[in-house]
Amino acid sequence: MKRRNFLKLAGMGSLSFAASACTSETDKTIFSLVQAPADMVTGSPTWYASTCRECPAGCGIIAKNREGRVIKVEGNPLHPINRGKLCIRGQAVVQGIYNPDRIKSPLLKKNGQKKNSQWQPISFSQARSLIQEKTIQAVQNGSDKVRMITELVGDSQMTLFTRCLEQFKSKDPIAFEPLAYETLKTANREAFGIDGLPSYRMDKADCLVSLGADFLETWLSPVEYAWQFKAMHAVKTEKKGIFFHISPYQSLTGANADRWIACDPGKEAAVVMGLIKAALEQGRGSGLPQSLVQSLRDASEGYTAQATARMAGINPKDFETLKSHVLKAKTPLILGTGAGGGAFQADLAANMLNLVLDPDLALFDFDHRHRVERSARRSEVLDFFKSLSADAAKLLFIHNANPVYALPHDSGVKETLTDDRLFVVSFSNFMDDTTALADLIFPVSLSLESWDEYSGKNGIISTLQPAMGRLTEAPHIGDLMLDVAFKDDQPVSDYKAWVMTRLHSRGIVKEKNGWLKALQAGGVFSAVSQAVTRPRLLESVAGLFKTVADTVEADPAKPIFAAVPSIRFFDGRGANRPWLCEIPDPLTKVAWQTPVLGHPETLKAAGTGHGEGVEIKTRYGRVETIAYETRQVKTGVLVMGMGQGHRHFGRYAENVGINPLTLLSTKTDDHTGAPVFSIIVTDFTGTGDTIPLAHTDGSRIQHGRKIALSVPLDQVIKNDDEKTGHGESLTMEGFPFTLPLPEGYDPKRDFYPPHGHENYRWAMVVDLDKCIGCAACAAACYVENNIGIVGKDRIIEGREMAWLQVERYHDPENPEKITFFPMMCQHCDNAPCEPVCPVYAPHHSKEGINNQIYNRCIGTRFCSQNCPYKVRRFNWFEWEWPEPLNLQLNPDVTVRSKGVMEKCSFCVQRIKVAHGVAKDEKRDIKDGEVIPACVQTCPTGALTFGNLMDVNSQVRMLTQNRRAYQAMGYINTKPAVIYLKKVVQEFS
Amino acid sequence: MSELTYAKIDQTVLDTLRPATGAYWFTVALLAAGILGGLACWIYQIFIGIGVGGQNNPVAWGTYLINFVFWVGIAHSGTLISAILHLFRAGWRNPIARAAETMTVFAVCTAGLFPFVHLGRAWMVFYMLPYPNQRTLWPNFQSPLMFDVVAISTYLIVSSLFWYTGLLPDLAIVRDRSTGLRKKIFTILSMGWTGRMEQWRHYVRGYLFFAALATPLVISVHSVVSWDFALGVVPGWHTTIFAPYFVAGAIHSGLAMVLTLMIPLRKIFGYEKIITLDVLENVAKTIIFTGLIVGFAYGTEFFIAWYSHNSVEIAIFKWRALGHYRVGFWIMVICNTIIPLFLFLKRIRRSIIWLFVISIFINIGMWFERFVIIISSVAHDFMPHAWGLYWPTVVEMGIMVGSFSLFFFLFILFVKHMPSVSMTENKEVLVQGESHGG
Repeated sequence: MKRRNFLKLAGMGSLSFAASACTSETDKTIFSLVQAPADMVTGSPTWYASTCRECPAGCGIIAKNREGRVIKVEGNPLHPINRGKLCIRGQAVVQGIYNPDRIKSPLLKKNGQKKNSQWQPISFSQARSLIQEKTIQAVQNGSDKVRMITELVGDSQMTLFTRCLEQFKSKDPIAFEPLAYETLKTANREAFGIDGLPSYRMDKADCLVSLGADFLETWLSPVEYAWQFKAMHAVKTEKKGIFFHISPYQSLTGANADRWIACDPGKEAAVVMGLIKAALEQGRGSGLPQSLVQSLRDASEGYTAQATARMAGINPKDFETLKSHVLKAKTPLILGTGAGGGAFQADLAANMLNLVLDPDLALFDFDHRHRVERSARRSEVLDFFKSLSADAAKLLFIHNANPVYALPHDSGVKETLTDDRLFVVSFSNFMDDTTALADLIFPVSLSLESWDEYSGKNGIISTLQPAMGRLTEAPHIGDLMLDVAFKDDQPVSDYKAWVMTRLHSRGIVKEKNGWLKALQAGGVFSAVSQAVTRPRLLESVAGLFKTVADTVEADPAKPIFAAVPSIRFFDGRGANRPWLCEIPDPLTKVAWQTPVLGHPETLKAAGTGHGEGVEIKTRYGRVETIAYETRQVKTGVLVMGMGQGHRHFGRYAENVGINPLTLLSTKTDDHTGAPVFSIIVTDFTGTGDTIPLAHTDGSRIQHGRKIALSVPLDQVIKNDDEKTGHGESLTMEGFPFTLPLPEGYDPKRDFYPPHGHENYRWAMVVDLDKCIGCAACAAACYVENNIGIVGKDRIIEGREMAWLQVERYHDPENPEKITFFPMMCQHCDNAPCEPVCPVYAPHHSKEGINNQIYNRCIGTRFCSQNCPYKVRRFNWFEWEWPEPLNLQLNPDVTVRSKGVMEKCSFCVQRIKVAHGVAKDEKRDIKDGEVIPACVQTCPTGALTFGNLMDVNSQVRMLTQNRRAYQAMGYINTKPAVIYLKKVVQEFS
Repeated sequence: MSELTYAKIDQTVLDTLRPATGAYWFTVALLAAGILGGLACWIYQIFIGIGVGGQNNPVAWGTYLINFVFWVGIAHSGTLISAILHLFRAGWRNPIARAAETMTVFAVCTAGLFPFVHLGRAWMVFYMLPYPNQRTLWPNFQSPLMFDVVAISTYLIVSSLFWYTGLLPDLAIVRDRSTGLRKKIFTILSMGWTGRMEQWRHYVRGYLFFAALATPLVISVHSVVSWDFALGVVPGWHTTIFAPYFVAGAIHSGLAMVLTLMIPLRKIFGYEKIITLDVLENVAKTIIFTGLIVGFAYGTEFFIAWYSHNSVEIAIFKWRALGHYRVGFWIMVICNTIIPLFLFLKRIRRSIIWLFVISIFINIGMWFERFVIIISSVAHDFMPHAWGLYWPTVVEMGIMVGSFSLFFFLFILFVKHMPSVSMTENKEVLVQGESHGG
């Protein structure tokens, strides 16, 4: 063998060895762009303003693009609806684009047979010509043969759809939203002559009463209202707004109320009538027409305090408290029923009470009505499906709507869709329950890949632009429709031009560069509103007050079942996002499952208990699920969250959880056209099995350990509250407040000398009075930090990876009093995790951060054992990101492999970026320049981050607050996360 | 011991080295299979992740550390018997010293494997070594786990050397009585021992010094192991009683294991004359003593929890006794403190069967003591929201069975191929017996 050959062979051998040795490693080949787009700089993000389309609220977002792919979305700070914040669902938007179950090319049912579920992939051009062919055939058959049902879309898109259907000689498309607020709309129509949904100025109210309106979760515009709510409800120097929640079950919104008043289902109206009577007796409502006052007086006559309490099934004392506060308030606001509750009488009564209390309706904003009012009533949706066969429609377009899932089984939608005479095209990216019944699936681009416009509220036009390159060839539905409907004589070149022309013609975008300006800002936020319909009081409303509070069928012997919208899945569209499944429900702390919530007595009566299998039967269906025992539900009521239990919706949603909607009746309310989300349970029994709940909480109460503290309001005002952690002793009661700075050390207490910090000592302040427990922070943390999704079984084993959890503690005496407590690494100055590691993997940085050095970690797990806050998370396995979910991974954060410990890093990658910028500009990092993901998204601004060494920084100032304390500071860990006590109001 | 003669002792011991039976090799094969099973479980764990075990958040330590502490505990009484009792001139320790020391060495070896099994990234374990490197990284000597590395390795070295030193004269005896390959092997092993006066003088001195050197280790090793827990902030761990409590517990379990091993050994190898009932009775008496210390420690823990007024501490002890793992707790209390009290009765103390049964109970009880300490404290520590439960999985059980197999595998190989009872030391007793008339 020649020397040269030997070297060759040896080289090859070592190469193949190297290649085979790292099979579990990711791709070693990195391709770089020879010519990158102008706005793409490797290693630094580009932000594109767009609009969140996860629900009809229409929050502004900015999408972070790194090396050509969107890795995170954050709220657009310029946007008036959400002011830079996002909810848990908004954070999860990128898992729609990168969903591994996304359909990449059009699919056609083989042989054209409905029953045959075999799909055959075809090309986009084939599918396009197929649709074209089908429309031509349909149009030849006469008028109204092409029909369309879409999710609620922006004005431009809806107009386009309408124009296209005109072209096909067919009726207008219909916008389907499972939660369409029919009763609220009707109540406004009957009272004010406006069949719509005004927005509210909750921030201006001093007393808020919600009849089950869950405005912190799903109701109308949750991010906006969360901010407004805390603007009125967070403690100010002297006062704090008051909030009552009246509902048969305590939702997250109810958990944030000063008092939750548990009423019987559907009896909210009685409470309001009682209040109307009291207000009228007090002489309120003098500005109203005499006839209306008189009829209100007549209608409310029977609602004395006792009668009201009896009728509504509430505690008379609660009613007295409620009454005195509502009548005392200067700017009270009564909110109608929630999306699911839906009792027209309650909504109407709420309108009347608002009028009686404030005839000017100063807190109603009819200029900025919510766009969700444009969605069709449920009765219209049902009529639409009935009309399909009546009109012998040939072609049905379904755009991102999932009626098969959202409508009860007996609605007949399934049968309509599977009718062989109807060719169904679903413009969906996911194989959902409805799409599965289509004949052709034509995926279209998703909101983050499209040019578009949407306005969540009148007068606020929000733009959409592609925030990344395309993963599939799917066109925008607008482009497709233009092509199919107009063929060669399209009015505009493409859908983008259509949107621009529309905005221009509506006078929203005026100057030449107006469109670009709008795109950069994320929209036009002070658009001239079209002639706004002013509310005018309809006196005819008086006649409607005869049958109040008799709306819900009830049988005292049988429980009532209620399906409620879920903060995580909304109406079900979020169920295929692994983050939303993995982050537990804020109240039950159960992930991946849909338990039914029942009062202990209700469960006991059915012979079952917490964590046991139960069977619920109604006239329309039956489900089997797990019982969850809680006192947050009135006795005789069973509550289940909507959104799970899909039969088709990809790996994360298919056969996960239960769909409560299958228990309900299709029948809608005659007057309002609203679906009824509650029903009498005909049979509720335990199956006798014990099913493990995938819950992340160990104990529901805090065992007096000084974790989540609260303080009564009057003590805060009088300044005589007991300042926690200002004593001198070493006991739990008297342990001093020890800042994680050298001044927090005392040789009498501390064996080791303090850490020296160079210029920065990062810290966070969490205001428990502002935290609503919505878990948006937890979601943002998952997105930013590449946290693994473990799934149901692993959560049952106790292996969830959340770096930030919103802990939920009930008061042991009054379980309806709840404190939400965001818990993440406390970055202790005297961290118990640091000394026990044999290899210095938990490392105290010179800026005070407790760094976890992943590649130094050998996995002894001693740090986790010794962490009193139990915030460290171990990689028990190699977590999976099925392609293309891995494209979402943040390149600034290491993806941890099995066998190492991880935890909250205070988003150290963001601190590093700030350091780089500051260094370039030869200055120190400014206060507020570093914003961790959780702080960024918190809708109520409960979290503040900054440098403790800077005595003028916001965090440092907040530590001076009398409410400041450290969670379990008595362990002398000197945490850098400082909590401010929740301020509670006690009403006698 | 009056019927014993030098020759009889030699003969009894050397008889055990006769070619083994099929049953013996079958047992060896069975144990080897157990080891392979455990090894397979470990390999599976390395490839899939620690998650194949039952550990979770908050209970991040499971049976691997329970078994680690258990085996270190077992390793204790070997040195106690051979070193401390040697210094105290307790002659009754001579017949069992060899087996106890062997038990020590093999138990330390078994225990030493568990930290590796426990690690999330066992292949990175060299990070714990203080080797000079370019990145100037150094292990953290503040960490109790580093104390452990030092303590356990020191203990392994000293106890093996001590054990081997004691073996030397016996190895020479075997060498002198054997032929062929065995003679060659034992010639090497006995390192040229001839039994000259000079050699004996050095040997006796050396052995004494070794005993003096090993004595502090008996105390230190388990004290250090206890600091793995006591230096943490976890309620139920963070207490100063842990070092003596662990040492007493270790000796308790070690003595029980001595009985568990000696009783069958004595029967199978016909050691009745050498390992007399008096010897076993003395072990039993010591067990009473250690059992009382352990019981006192249990009580003290509860007293201090109450006395401290620390609600977290109180809650954890209440939960230990009444919570989810209460069965483990009561097994621990009954097996370790109540059952040994029966040894106060002479009838039971001198009954082979009773001694054996009680020793098994103590072994089980001591395993559960570690279970209770390691699992229950973190399962319900400071943060109520993080509370959770733990239960071992099949993989963990497999590794545990593997560890027991490994220990017994090594032990039965030793007793069949090496003198399992010290001939020289027993002859010493014989001499003392003659000269001192007792």
